[in-house]
Amino acid sequence: MFFHITLERNMQLHPRHFGRNLRENLIAKLMKDVEGTCSGRHGFVVAITGIENVGKGLIRDGTGFVTFPVKYRCVVFRPFKGQILEAVVTMVNKMGFFAEAGPVQIFVSNHLIPDDMEFQSGDMPNYTTSDGSVKIQKDSEVRLKLIGTRVDATEIFCIGTIKDDFLGVINDPTTA
Amino acid sequence: MSGEEEENAAELKIGDEFLKAKCLMNCEVSLILDHKYEQLRHMSEDPLNQVSQVFEKSLQYVKRFSRYKNPDAVRQVREILSRYQLTEFELCVLGNLCPETVEEAIAMVPSMKSC
Repeated sequence: MFFHITLERNMQLHPRHFGRNLRENLIAKLMKDVEGTCSGRHGFVVAITGIENVGKGLIRDGTGFVTFPVKYRCVVFRPFKGQILEAVVTMVNKMGFFAEAGPVQIFVSNHLIPDDMEFQSGDMPNYTTSDGSVKIQKDSEVRLKLIGTRVDATEIFCIGTIKDDFLGVINDPTTA
Repeated sequence: MSGEEEENAAELKIGDEFLKAKCLMNCEVSLILDHKYEQLRHMSEDPLNQVSQVFEKSLQYVKRFSRYKNPDAVRQVREILSRYQLTEFELCVLGNLCPETVEEAIAMVPSMKSC
């Protein structure tokens, strides 16, 4: 799920940036440092939308660097266990399939795919029901439920299931 | 922090911080990111080089899964859904997935059952 939240960060700025463009430099550095990062607590920082407040700078002894506390608003993407969302299938193999929902990767194991769907190998590996009416392959859009998340320093990885009511393929690329 | 407690979106256990935060539907994110992308395009020749992979992937994702493209429709969806006592999170799940029946809606947002 995407959220719009306010975060705070202490920014260190080199003295060469001091001058009338200090604020611009500070914000440019903030965007460079923060956008695209990921933390377990807040998820992925997608984009900074505004600066709420830049606090008083504090000169650090010995270096001349100044630390500014900056409050900023940003769009973050944070997956939650138990959440239902839509995702695009990126890879299918006999272990299950991988899907992507924005920046996050989700793996759905073949134990969490309905039992009536069988793996078919070939140059376009897929999972298909016995009557062939439903097919999951690369680029399919699926609706899945997250049952587990693993947080790394730089990535969040999720485990999902489509073995529940109202989950599964929502759009088949071959019929579209 | 209550983060130590097991999180479960089905029971709305997503941490106080996020429960109170402003939640965004995919279509709203699409509007925000599009706007930001346009701004970047005015500033530099090659905007794709400027944005992070996370930004690019998110933009692609929300474009693909936005149910409403027009900003007025987006505003109306939020207005209509906010008439009912839903939390931000519930509102956005409904807005994103557009369930067609009551059963489907409850399967998508199990926390609504207790209301």
